[in-house]
Amino acid sequence: MTLADGAGSNGFSAAGPRRLGQVVGGSLSRGLDVRLDASDGQTEDVAVGSFVTIQGRRQRYFAVVTDLELCAVDDSVRHFPPAFSQGGSTGDGFAAEVIAGTVAYGQLSVMPGMAVSMSGLPGAVAEQAKTIPEHFAPVYAASQTDIDAVFRAREGDFALGSPQGMESSLVRLDLSALANRSVGVFGASGTGKTFLARMLLAGLVKQSHAVSLVFDMESEYGWQGQDNDRSRQVKGLKQLFPAKVVTFTLDEESSRRRGATPDGVVKIGYDEVEPADIEVLRDSLNLSEVAAATAWNVARHYKEHWLREFMGLGAADVGELAQEIGVNLSALQTLHRRLLSWERFGFLAEQGQGNATAGGIIEQLERGNHVVLEFGQYGRNTAAYVLVSNLLTRRIHETWVRRKELADGGQGQEPRPLVIFIEEAHKFLTPGIASQTIFGTIARELRKYNVTLMIVDQRPSGIDSEVMSQLGTRLSCALNDDRDMNAVLMGARDVGQLRNVLARLDSKQQALVFGHAVPMPVVVRPRDYDEAFYADMGAPAGTPVGASLAEADADRLQREIDELFPPE
Amino acid sequence: MAGIQPGQRLAEVTASRTQRVEAQCYSAHSAPPLGSLVRIGSPPIYAVVLDIRHEPLDPTRPLAPRGADAETEDELYAANPQLSAILTTRFTAVIVGYRDGAGVRAGLPSLPPDLHSFVFLCEASDLAGFGDNLGWLRLLLEERSAASDAAIANLLRQAAGGRTDPRKFLLEAGKALATELSGEPHRMRALLREVAA
Repeated sequence: MTLADGAGSNGFSAAGPRRLGQVVGGSLSRGLDVRLDASDGQTEDVAVGSFVTIQGRRQRYFAVVTDLELCAVDDSVRHFPPAFSQGGSTGDGFAAEVIAGTVAYGQLSVMPGMAVSMSGLPGAVAEQAKTIPEHFAPVYAASQTDIDAVFRAREGDFALGSPQGMESSLVRLDLSALANRSVGVFGASGTGKTFLARMLLAGLVKQSHAVSLVFDMESEYGWQGQDNDRSRQVKGLKQLFPAKVVTFTLDEESSRRRGATPDGVVKIGYDEVEPADIEVLRDSLNLSEVAAATAWNVARHYKEHWLREFMGLGAADVGELAQEIGVNLSALQTLHRRLLSWERFGFLAEQGQGNATAGGIIEQLERGNHVVLEFGQYGRNTAAYVLVSNLLTRRIHETWVRRKELADGGQGQEPRPLVIFIEEAHKFLTPGIASQTIFGTIARELRKYNVTLMIVDQRPSGIDSEVMSQLGTRLSCALNDDRDMNAVLMGARDVGQLRNVLARLDSKQQALVFGHAVPMPVVVRPRDYDEAFYADMGAPAGTPVGASLAEADADRLQREIDELFPPE
Repeated sequence: MAGIQPGQRLAEVTASRTQRVEAQCYSAHSAPPLGSLVRIGSPPIYAVVLDIRHEPLDPTRPLAPRGADAETEDELYAANPQLSAILTTRFTAVIVGYRDGAGVRAGLPSLPPDLHSFVFLCEASDLAGFGDNLGWLRLLLEERSAASDAAIANLLRQAAGGRTDPRKFLLEAGKALATELSGEPHRMRALLREVAA
C-alpha cells in the first residue's frame, strides 16, 4: 500500500482514525491482546470480524478482531460488582463509572494478518505479517484507506462485497488464485450461499481465466434463480453472459417450462454406468457395502450391458442370478430393487450418446464457454445428481489429464483451467467414498491437471477431512453445527481465532472468507445481486429477468408431484 | 475555625521532616479542616492537613474538667480566661508538593520547611494547580489511614468545586485513584464512596 498523503509523523493525519486501545500482550500465533482505552461502551462498538490497524514503530499491521473480553485487575470486581456492594447508591454509581475502564476494562483479541512497512517508501506493499508490534503500540479502527491497501485493486480482481461494518469499502477476491485451487462455499440453508456461489461463478465467467462446469442441482445457476427472501427472480449465468455460457439439461421439459432454451440435452446410456458409480451411490441408494459390491459381480457376468440386463430381470431371475454368480441373495435383491427406481430417470437411454454427451460439454469448455448442466426434476434425486455428475466429470477429467500430459510432452496446448461446480458435496465426498469418486481425486490432485472443484455444501462435516484441507479458498456463511464449523476451519491457520468469528456470523448475508484468494481472513457482506451487479458483469441493462414467477412455481409443483407420485 | 479565610496565615511550623510537617496554630480551636491544602514558607511548600489535635500547651500538665458549675461551654470559657493561654491546636500536614521556577510540582521538595515557617490556608488558584496534576495522590495514599483517605476525599471535593465540570474532574481523579489502588479493592471502593458523597 501507499502511505496516505499528508500523514503525520505517526502515519496518521490529524483527523486520524478512531483510537481503540493499545497492545498489551499476545503472540503472533495466538493473536494480540489489545486493552481498550475507554469504557464508554467500546466493547459494544467493535464487532468480532472487524478490522483494526496497529501502529508499530516500523510497520503498520492490519488485524481482524477475533474475540472480545471483559477483564478485571482484581477478582473483587467480579465478586462484588459496584451496583450490588454495600453502600450508598450514589457512591456506587460513581465507583462503577470509575472502575470501568481502569480496574475493569475491555480487551480485544486481534489476529495480525498483513503488515506494511512504514519506511516511507512510496508504493510499499502490504505483506503477510511475520512480526508483531511492540508493547503498547496504539490500535485504531481501520479506515477505508486501510482496507483498500489490503484488498487493493488489481487486474482481474472481483469485488465480492464490503467488510463488516464498512459499507463503503470493497473486499476483492483474486479470481486467478481462487480458480487455481479448489474452493468451498459453505453455510446452513438460507444463509445465502447460493447467491455467494452464483456471484463467484459470475466473476469467473466475466474474468475468463478459467472455464467452469456447473452441475446445477436446483436449476438455479443457468437460466435464472429464485430469491426466496424477496420472492423475486434473479438472473442466471446464461442471462448475464449469453455469449459465454452454454446450458445443457437432463430434463428438457422442465427447462422449457421455465422459459429457458437449453443448448443441449444430455442422455446417458445404461452401458455408460460402471459398477464404480454404484459404489459412490451407496449412501444415496441406501445400500450396504456388500450390496454395492455385488454390482461388480453383476457387471462381470453381463459385461457391457450389465445394468440394462440386470434391471430387466424379474424377481425370480434375480434369485437364479445370485446362485449363478455366487453372491448373497438378499444383497443382490436390494441392489436390484434400488436400481429399478432408475426406470424413471428419463435421461437414461437404451443407447446413450456415448462419448458424445461428455464430448459436447468438453467441446464447449475447450472453446472457453462455461457450461451449466440443469437437472430439472432430477435435481431432487440425489442419486441422479451424484450419478450424472460423477460420470460426466470422470470423462471430462480423463480428457483433461490426457491433454495436460500431451501438453507436458510438448504436443498440443495446455487445457484451460477448469472449475467443476458441485452442490451437496458431502454426498460425493464423505470419508467412505471420497477416495473412490473422481471428485476426491480432483481435490487431492490440486491443480496438477488444471481441474479444480468449487464445492457448495451445508454440511461440511460430512466431507472427507483430507478433501477439506485441500481447499484453497473457503467462504463460509453462518453454520449452526459445531462440527460443521470445525470442518470448515480444518487445516486452516489460526483455527481457534477464526472459530470465534465464524460462530458469530449473521444468519444472512455475511460470510467469512479466507485462503488463497484473499490476503487475510475477512468477514464480508456480499454485495447485492441486483441490477447494479448485472451492470458490473456487463449485462445489458433492463433485460427481462426471464420467465415469470408463475411459471417457475408451476415447474416446482410439477417436480414435487413427480417426487410424490413417481411416474411408472 | 469557621473564620479562616483562604490565604489567611494561621500557624507556624514547629517541627518538620522530609514528608511531614508539624504546625501549631496561633489560637486554640482554629485549625484548617482535615484535607485542607496549606502553603508553607517561601518558596512555598504545599501540604495536606491530616491529623488535627487540640491539647494543652504543656504536655506535662494534663487538663482537668472545669465546668461542673457552668450551664454552657461558653460560660466555662468565660469563667476560665486563662484557658486561651494554656490550650493550643496542633496539626500534622503531609507534604505533597512545592513550587520552583517552573511552577507547582507534585512531589517532595529536597528540603522540608524551616521551623517557624508561616502556614497559610491555600487559595483557589493553588487548588486548581493541584487539581491539574494528580501526582500527589500517591503521597497521601501511602499514609494508609482512615484520616488520610478522608483527607484525599475532602481535597478532591474542594478541588472539584472550583472547576467548570466538577463531575468530570472527580471521574478523572477517581480513575487515577482506582489505578493506584487496584491491589486494594476494598479501600478503593470505600474511598470512591467518600469522594462521591
